Amino acid sequence: MDSSLIEFNNVYKSYSISRLKYKRFAEDIGQIFQRVLTRKKRTIQKEKFVALKNVNFKVKQGESLGIIGKNGAGKTTILKLISRVTYPDSGEIKADGKIGAFIELGAGLHPELSGRENIYLYGSILGMRKKEIDEKFDDIVKFSELRKFLDTPIKRYSSGMYARLGFSVVAFMDPDILVIDEVLAVGDKSFQERCLSKMNKFVKGNKTIIFVSHNLEAVKSICDRGILLDHGKIIKDGRVSEVINTYLANYS
Amino acid sequence: MINCFKELYKFRELLIALTKREIKVRYKQTTLGAAWAILQPFSLMLIFSLVFGVFLGLESQELPYPIFYYSALLTWLFFSTSISFGSQAVINNSNLVSKIYFPREVLPFASVGAAILDFAVAGLIFILMMLFYKLPFSPNLIFILPICAILIFFTLSVVLFTSALVVIWRDLKFVVPLIIQIWMFASPIIYPVSKVPQNLRFLYMLNPMAVIIENFRRVTLFAKPPVLSEILIAFFVSIILFFISYKFFKIKERSFADII
Repeated sequence: MDSSLIEFNNVYKSYSISRLKYKRFAEDIGQIFQRVLTRKKRTIQKEKFVALKNVNFKVKQGESLGIIGKNGAGKTTILKLISRVTYPDSGEIKADGKIGAFIELGAGLHPELSGRENIYLYGSILGMRKKEIDEKFDDIVKFSELRKFLDTPIKRYSSGMYARLGFSVVAFMDPDILVIDEVLAVGDKSFQERCLSKMNKFVKGNKTIIFVSHNLEAVKSICDRGILLDHGKIIKDGRVSEVINTYLANYS
Repeated sequence: MINCFKELYKFRELLIALTKREIKVRYKQTTLGAAWAILQPFSLMLIFSLVFGVFLGLESQELPYPIFYYSALLTWLFFSTSISFGSQAVINNSNLVSKIYFPREVLPFASVGAAILDFAVAGLIFILMMLFYKLPFSPNLIFILPICAILIFFTLSVVLFTSALVVIWRDLKFVVPLIIQIWMFASPIIYPVSKVPQNLRFLYMLNPMAVIIENFRRVTLFAKPPVLSEILIAFFVSIILFFISYKFFKIKERSFADII
């Protein structure tokens, strides 16, 4: 039975280095003129940073996958491709179902708005209905433990409070696929534990989870399967404990 | 294209939420708050009346200066605020764009949504002014609706186009306000269309804002029906433009997260 929820087929993704930031207007116009004058096609090859090279993997429903690797190995790029924030240069990506992505803390929260307003705003950014948020509002607030600060503009929050608010909303959006990047580093111990138990509950509910973290203990406790990335290639794909062992043996 | 609209419909509540956010954030920590929606056109109207009317004695088609200018500023300011906020909507939300998936057009649309509210508030003042100057409320006022529809579609297409271009070429951030300035003088705001030489009139009316402002004045100040041919052309032009710039935006959208 082929019931894979997520599929990566020969996915290749690069970012241009020379223009990592954004294009410069004058430069572009200059190039266009040059091309018109010399009647040449664009010959300058831009320097590329290859984030993912022919990545193949499948994730079935109910699987919990941990992605590990050094900085710049392409972990976050995979998460961004799954959640359709960015698109591959070539290759195919399939991701079925409602995706809940928590890629960076604070993204989607607006500093001028209060905690309450932000719960609604962030919820709707994640694709939740207002009615849905109404229903879950109390659970979200309870989980975040921020009831006292609900009407404070969140620019006055600490970074830990930011993370708590953000994660709480994602945790209650009830997605089919939960995509979590390194985000637990900020919260305190008790919040981290609650996050982990929430994710474990999620896994037990036959939902799919993709988890990226440098906290190998957390990866081990949540995930069954692991993928080890290095320079955009999958080095190892298998049981999480074996993958972690390979990682520890080769990269530390 | 149909898929785009389906996706947009799915995120309609986000559009509403972002519009609310834009309104809230824009006036947060300002003492006068939403009064700025009125003060902006009102103060411009006063300055225009004083400088162009009293000092320079420009023609206003035998109408009191304040309402002559205000009738044009109403639609013009909707257009220009939509563009100055909307063109920056994507880059100002770079943290969202690079981290979370949602149809990106909701960002510029939300800016236009917030401007619609300002437009409505400023419109109420216009009604009060019509009462004050004892202008007749004719059945032709119904034509305000199609004129506003053209205005909104045209604004949306310019906003979609500029907001995508600004992501690619940041320099345009500084070009856009300049273009708005020039555009203002190319539209019949401080002068009536009758001042434009007859042989240039056709060219002049290719500017949809000229059609909108001129016909808005005809309908509200002169109780006349709009020039049907102009309205129809402007309507089709703005609809077609809307689809083209929407498509353009959707093509460029795929690379936003990488270059923003």
